[in-house]
Order: sequence, then C-alpha cells, then structure tokens
Amino acid sequence: MPATTIPQTPSLSTYLKSLKHNDIETSIELFISLLKRRQIKNSRPCAIATTHLLLHVVAAERIRDASKLIQHVRDVGRRLVAAQPREMAVGNIVRRVLGVIREVAEEDQDAAGGTPLSPPTPLTPVPGETLQRPPLPTKMSEFSPLHGAAALPQDLLATAASSTQDWQSEDAAQRPLLPGSSTSYAGQPPSVTSLFSILQQPAGRSPFATPPTASQSPLIKPVPQTHDDEVKEKLDIKAEVINGIQELQDELDVVDTQIAESALDHIHSNEIILTHTSSQTVQRFLATAARKRKFTVVHAEAYPNDHEATHATIVNGGKKGSGEDEEGGDERWKPLTSMGITVILIPDSAVFALMSRINKVIMAPHTVLANGSLLAAAGAATIAQAAKHHRVPVVVLSGVYKLSPVYPFATDDLIEYGDPSKVVGFEEGEFMEKVDVVNPIYDWVDSELVDLYITNLGGCAPSFLYRIVADHYRVEDIDLSAK
Amino acid sequence: MPEPVTASEQAKPPAAIPEEPKLSPAELKKKAKAEKQARRAVQKEQQGPPDTRPKGGQQKSQQPQQKQNKQASLDSKHHERPGSSQQSLPLRRRPSQSDATKEREQPKKGSKQVELFSHLYTQPRRHTIEGASKDIHPAVLALGFQMSSYEICGSSARCVAMLLAFKESIQAYTTPNNWALSRHLNSHYLSPQIDYLKSCRPISMSMGNAIRWLKNLIGKVDPNMPEQEAKDFLCGEIDRFVHERITISDQAIATTASAQIRKGAVLLTYGKSSIVEKTILQAYANGTEFRVVIVDARPLFEGKQLATSLMRAGIEVEYLPFSGITHAVKQASLVLLGAHAMLSNGRLQSRVGTASIALAAHEEHIPVIVCCESVKFSDRVTLDSIVMNEVAPSEELFLPARVEAHAENQASNQEISKGGDDANGGAVRSLRDWKDIAGLQILNLMYDVTPAEYIRMVICEYGSVPPSSVPVVHRLANEGM
Repeated sequence: MPATTIPQTPSLSTYLKSLKHNDIETSIELFISLLKRRQIKNSRPCAIATTHLLLHVVAAERIRDASKLIQHVRDVGRRLVAAQPREMAVGNIVRRVLGVIREVAEEDQDAAGGTPLSPPTPLTPVPGETLQRPPLPTKMSEFSPLHGAAALPQDLLATAASSTQDWQSEDAAQRPLLPGSSTSYAGQPPSVTSLFSILQQPAGRSPFATPPTASQSPLIKPVPQTHDDEVKEKLDIKAEVINGIQELQDELDVVDTQIAESALDHIHSNEIILTHTSSQTVQRFLATAARKRKFTVVHAEAYPNDHEATHATIVNGGKKGSGEDEEGGDERWKPLTSMGITVILIPDSAVFALMSRINKVIMAPHTVLANGSLLAAAGAATIAQAAKHHRVPVVVLSGVYKLSPVYPFATDDLIEYGDPSKVVGFEEGEFMEKVDVVNPIYDWVDSELVDLYITNLGGCAPSFLYRIVADHYRVEDIDLSAK
Repeated sequence: MPEPVTASEQAKPPAAIPEEPKLSPAELKKKAKAEKQARRAVQKEQQGPPDTRPKGGQQKSQQPQQKQNKQASLDSKHHERPGSSQQSLPLRRRPSQSDATKEREQPKKGSKQVELFSHLYTQPRRHTIEGASKDIHPAVLALGFQMSSYEICGSSARCVAMLLAFKESIQAYTTPNNWALSRHLNSHYLSPQIDYLKSCRPISMSMGNAIRWLKNLIGKVDPNMPEQEAKDFLCGEIDRFVHERITISDQAIATTASAQIRKGAVLLTYGKSSIVEKTILQAYANGTEFRVVIVDARPLFEGKQLATSLMRAGIEVEYLPFSGITHAVKQASLVLLGAHAMLSNGRLQSRVGTASIALAAHEEHIPVIVCCESVKFSDRVTLDSIVMNEVAPSEELFLPARVEAHAENQASNQEISKGGDDANGGAVRSLRDWKDIAGLQILNLMYDVTPAEYIRMVICEYGSVPPSSVPVVHRLANEGM
C-alpha cells in the first residue's frame, strides 16, 4: 500500500507532501484510497488535492498532443470521481482542468494558423437535439458519471464522445455540427459505448488498488498522432496548462476572501444572522463584515456531525479542529466574539423558535447543483424551510469550485449516510442492535428555498447559476464518463 | 449602571458655570424643571430592560440631556444629587429583593443572557435546599429537585407528581387557631410550596391548571368541616382529578389515536411524550403492523428513552438525530406529537424542535396529529416562541466530558504541529470556558410554538378536534363552562 509512505494519519496535508516524492500512479491511487476512506473529505480539501494531483499529472506527462493529455486527465478524473462520487468538487476541478487544456489547445491551433480543430463550443441548444438525448437511467444510484449532465440541452454526448476523434481526424469532420448532421452522430457507436461505460465504470475500474504502473492506463489506446510536427508548440501547451492549473489553485486560495469582499453589501448593522456548521467561508464572510459593523450571529451547531468543529470555531475561531484544513498555510483568524460580535450558540432544534427574529440565514453548501439547489450539511433543509416559513432570506456562500454541472433528478441518491455511532455510541449495545440508527450527512435544499448565491464572482439568483456553469465547464467535459 | 450616568452628570455642570449668571430666576426655574424631567426620563430608562451594550445605548440617550446640563445652574445640581441617589437607592436597599440587585448586576459581567430572552432569565434554577422556607413539605422539596434535574420531566408527569406531593403535604398540614382551612391553606401553606417548585423549574401549563383547580377547590371547602375530614376530602378530590383528567384521559386518547395508526404506517415522532408512547404501545398491542421513526435532539435526548422502551416492546424503531428530519419525513406517513400545552389560538407549545418537525411534515403533506390531555389546554395565546418559553441552563449543552477531552486532544495536537506560533499562545479553549469569552452566549430553550396551520388534528379525551377548537375544549374542561 502507498500508505506506508505516510507516518501520520493521512490527511490533506500529508497527501500534498507525499505528492512530491511519489510517482504519479501511486499518487492517484493514494488519493483514491483517501477519498474512499473519507480521509480527505469536504469540498475544499478535495478540490485542493485534485488540483495538486492534476498539476503533477500534467507535469509528468510527456505530451505529444493535447488530445492525449485531455484523454489522460479525463481518465484520471474518471477514476477519482468513481472513488467518491459525492465529492463533486473533484469532478468539478477535473472539468475545469480539462477546460483549461482545451482552451490552450484551441489557442494554439489558432496561433498555428490551422483550421480550428474542435467545434467552437456548440452551446446553442438545438430543438432537434433533444431527440438525440440518450435515455437516462431511471435511478441515479450509480450517478458518479453524472448522468444528469445529459439533460443539458446540448449535444454533449455526441460531441463529447466524438471529441477525442475530432482531434486527430481529418478536417472535414471538424466543422461545427449542423442540426441535421448530428442525427448521424446519434447512431454512432461512441454514444453507445459511453452508456455502457456509465454502468461499468465504478465497478470496473476502482477496485484495483495497484494498477500496473508500467503501462500507465491500459485502457487508453495510444492514439496515432497526426500533429507531430509542432513539438515546440506542444511544450508551450504544457506550460500554459500548468499555468492554468496554478491559476485554479490561486482561485481556491482566495475564494473565501473574494466572497468575503461582498460581505458589507449584504450585512447591515444590528442584524441577527443565523448560520450553521463551521464553514470557513461563512466565518470569513462574517469576520469581514464584523470589522465595520456590529451584528449578532446565531450559530446552530450541526449536531452530530459537525458540532465539535462548530464549537471550536466559535470558541477559538480560525481553522477547523479536524485538521483537514490546516494545509494552505493561511493564518488562523480570530473568533467572531473577539471582534465584538455577539455569538449565540443554539442547538439545531431551536432554529424554528428563533427564526422569527433572524434577519438573514447564511449557509455554506457542500455542493451546488446547476439548477440552483444545493447539498449542505444535514439540518440545512430544516433551517431553509423554517426561513421560508418566516420569509427570512437565505444566502448561500459558495465558491465556483463547488458549482457542479449536475442536475438533480434523484436527490435521495446524493445524500450520504455517516457513522451512526456519532448519534448513539456503540457501547449501548442493545440499542444499536435493535434500533435502526441513521445519520444522514447531507441535506438537499431545493433552489426555491434559496434567495441568493454569493460566489467569488459576485452575487446571483439561483435561477442564474446554470449560466455560470456554462461559463466554467466545457460541454464536452460535462459527462466525464464518456469516452 | 447608574454610576457612569451620575458621574457624567457631575462632570458636566462645572463646564457650564460661566453661563450661569446670565439666567434670570424665572429662567432658572424653567431650566430646573426641564432638568428634573430629563433626569426622570433617564431614571426610567435605567430601570427599563437591561441593555447588553450600555455604552451605545446610553450615550445616545444622554445627548439631549447634555444640552440641558450645560445651562443648568449649580442650585439645580444640588437638588439633583440627593434626588438621583434617592431614586436609585431604594432598589438596592430592599433586603427582601436580593434577587433584584442580582438581576441588575448580571448584564454588567459580559452578559451571558441572550437579550431577546432576557425576560426568561428570572433566577437560576434551584438545585439546593438552601433558602427554602421551613414550611415546605419534604415531599415537595424532593419533587423540586427531581424536576430541576429532569428526573421528572414532561408536562403530565410533573402535574401528577405535584398533585401527589401536595396530597402528602396537605395531610401534614394543621390549620392554625383562629383560621379557617379554606382561608389559610391556600395563601399561607400552599403558595410557598408552589413558589418553591417554581424556583426549581418554571411550572408547566398543566401544573398551572391543576393548581388553579386545587385552589378553587380549597376555597370552597366548608369552614365548618372538621379539619381531618376536609383534608381527606381534598386528597380524595386530588386522586379523582389525577384519575379522571390524566389516567383515564390518557387511555381514551391512546385508544383514539392508536386507531389512526394503520397497517404498514410509518409513524414519526419527536422526543418523548408519554401519551404518544402509550398510543404506540396500544396500537402495537392491537396487532397493527407499523414502524416508528424517532427524531431526537440535544440536550435531553428524550427520544432515546422512547426508542428504548419501544424497542424492548418489540416495535421496529428507527432513530435519527435532529439533522435527519428531511430523511425522517420522507418515509413517514403520520406524525404524532406530544404537547407541553395547547394554546388558545390553536398553537402547540412543545419541546423545542417540534415546530420544525411539524413544518417539514406539513411541507410533505403528512398529517400531523397532536395528542394532548385537556388539562394541558390553556387560555393563553402567543404568536412566537420567544415571549412564553423557558430557558434552561446553558451548561446542559456542553458535550460529555469524554467527547470533549478527545476534541481537545485533537486540537492541542494540531496546535503542536503548528508550532504554536499564534498570539493566543495555544490557548485552545473549549465551550466550557464560555463565561470567559465575551460575546459568546449559549441559548438552551425548552419549548417552541408550532403554528396551528401545521396541525391537522388534536386528539384529546373529548375527541378529535381541529386546533381552532382548543379554546372551546379549554373552557369546557378547565373552566367548567
């Protein structure tokens, strides 16, 4: 096991350290196992680990061709997503990186004066296209490949499936797809294979703990290269891509600060604000507002999964006590109370009782879905409902990296269930044996319960999120499972 | 709080002295009058609700006053001093009201009381026998502790326990000479007992109803009745009350409510209510096949007791923390709730968190049924959970020591790994230090109020009624109209 290289309990920080001396395949496997064991969890650590890993993947690649790089990253991404499909931040980051590569490749093509190789973002939905939509599986239980994405009104599957071929095949096929011409795509094998892979992917790939390192990914067929003449340009691509990934890393670093910048636009003096769980983003947001204005924070503790971290945040401020987030090197910040803010800690059950006096509810999601609904720590839905009943605005603070291009069809499947011993200890044997103790970790909150999203790009209505999704993810990459 | 005000008042006039000679006697009088009024206004403000942020609030109120002060004469100042001390002193001097001064001082020390609920922090719960009147019967003393430690918990249980304790204390009572039992027992014997119980934990609605009934009954006792006979009569009546209003009522409600549980139902309940427990057990005894989902919350974990007793009875039970409400509601087909009190505007006052359950169930179109004896019906009305509530000691929200020690270890480990370079010197504090952290408040509410629109039906011993009929039943049952 690669775990032998780690002396301490594996976490994000140990993983990032191990990245430096492990080879790529080991790192990937290590990350997969960490994801599976929930030793890296929550959106931000996952996103950070993914960017670092992909940076190494790209750096280690001796690229001949952008398409091969895309294929490789996609392949790695698929394995990561399959390891822990509910950490959607992983998939989001993979898509962002793929987007970076594609962009760089396109620029390169343009600069090289060649005809544009890939169809330039076939974003416009064509009415006829919906006929070509592949049949959706009835259940999202094996939702890791993000089936929901297929509901985007785009010819993504056809395009995504054929995109890899686009890179190498002759120019005639590269023209933007016409509504009529896409009909022929639908019948082609690629989309069929993609559907097969949807079902086979999670079971087929991930159980191998140590895949052969010699031939890195046996599933990738070495693609015959047609653009082998521009070696200099390709090296440039690699540098550009690495630059792009580093930009992504920077974005992850500053996302809280960027979100916090708009704090003063949303919090006025003497407000009573309710929040939930120990989110760094929310704490940063409130702290920024606290520098200028005095308000009251009512903090629900999110028992039983996050209450210890919540208490620690309230009392000590700064980083979570879980040790997950200590990497990143940013400073501990002071608790809100030391900034003159009154913080009232309440158990989750008291939320409804207090809601009539609350001015705003500020929440941090686990993942935001493309239709404006979100997944957040369990209890969030109850709070949002109570807020709705009392007509209290619900503000959700979310970095763009949490924004997932998935449309929720079966929300039940998105919910993860955690350790029941957090609810009732295993020392109560009889109870644990006879009573079904359930501990859901996430809640799904419908978009109509949310009034405002604040991302690092600014505020927007839940109904507008799909646009931000479209801006950040390439259509070809939305369904990662497609070949 | 008065000190800074008087100090500032004293400080200002000297600056205004040069202006003084210009004023005519008539003007002086006028100013003095205005001054007096301003002073009164300030005094009034001071006696008002304690302000957690005295600086901000009071500076503002002093603004207009300062102007008046500038023109004030020395004479008026002389008047002012004894006046202000006179008005503030009595509050401090009343020996009987040591509580009042305590209350006045509490906001000073960083205010650990949530301002919204400041009216609920009357006095800390009594946990000792110290200071209790000697007249208080031992049975009542013991009951008080059982209540303050939640050993006896739940509206009906507390009501029954109180009546039984009163029965004992009535038996131990002797009417003094020259007094009629009906005149003396209520005000001189029973009232201190009730006050003692109140000091242990605020009394519930059912207790209030029972006390009202008992006092009424005592008042009607024929003065010519021999003492022992009267006491036996009262005890007999108390027994009858408990039997009729609670025991039999419970049975009737359980029978009605258990008929609502159909085969294959998934019953959702919150916390623990004795009447809901009875209903479920009865339905199970009737041979209905169903499943129970129990949602529970910190800090009392009453649902765990219910789950244990149902599990021992052999019923299939699922147990979720409060955060799992959405999950619980998704599978449920019926919500059964207990009550602390049914208010006259149809709202339900019950253990904090009940409203969230009812709301979630309402949103999913699952019927919410409240089981409540008519003794818990009340003529009071309220709109929110803030005015009428009970604040329990915040300390109850601390985590068990074992868990906290673990968390602290983790935290300190982290501190070490960080090199302890932060300014706080690695002072990782836990929630237990909350008194030292200015601005941190912990709120531990006992009840919340569920809006009537979420309640489909209230089952009481008079039958199943909509929440809008609560006042009718209350008048029928508790006021005999």
